[in-house]
Amino acid sequence: MIISTSRFGQVELKQEDVLTFPEGLLGFADLRKFVLLDDPNDEIFAWLQSCEAPQIAFPVLEPELFAPQYKATLTKSDLEALKLTAQDKARYFSIVTIPDDPTLMTANLKAPVVVNVAARMARQCVLQDNNLAIREPIFTKLQQRVVQNPAVAIKNQSSGIDVATKLHVVKDAEL
Amino acid sequence: MLVLTRKLGESIAIDDHIKIRVVQIKGKQVRLGIEAPKDTKIHREEVYVAIQEQNQQSASVPADKTRSVAKLLKP
Repeated sequence: MIISTSRFGQVELKQEDVLTFPEGLLGFADLRKFVLLDDPNDEIFAWLQSCEAPQIAFPVLEPELFAPQYKATLTKSDLEALKLTAQDKARYFSIVTIPDDPTLMTANLKAPVVVNVAARMARQCVLQDNNLAIREPIFTKLQQRVVQNPAVAIKNQSSGIDVATKLHVVKDAEL
Repeated sequence: MLVLTRKLGESIAIDDHIKIRVVQIKGKQVRLGIEAPKDTKIHREEVYVAIQEQNQQSASVPADKTRSVAKLLKP
């Protein structure tokens, strides 16, 4: 299948690349189908792209890249909604906001996108933990990560990005 | 919306397992005590509003922005 995106043009997907969000995301309740895209042009982010609204896509990062101790406790209802039986099968992604000054970029640790990879289901889970920030500053922490391990692309320092689909842009001639 | 009047110390029961009690009334502020099963999520509404706003702002990040951040982070 081919979806339209405002950022990456026409993107070719397999049916199994599509993640279903039964309740959408907060503020985007009508959008239920997303795909995680791995943009080969940057070494850090993946994109959570709506299959239904071309202009809607969120840059996402794995929280362990900037919060190594990150621990999310899911409730029974979260687990049920994701058809998960054990928490360890889930993958976590934090939605990132990048303002004009990128050094002020933040990630949402309070409400990660939790993905049940096997069932291709996902949910933005609002965690009860009050110590987790909705806008956690991350620029310096990411920078430290790069400094500590300059030879390895940040994407390859984490485990979850492999669930993202390589961005395959359809050229006009292929349509 | 159901609207109920409660005095200090009085409670409201929701379903069989959730109890909300008026613990303190001070000027324009009301302190509520909430008893609920461990699995029940309880948040101030502002939390959801803030997450919605964060999602909205994140959705407007252009693709070249992440690429430029990636380059910026490289030593």
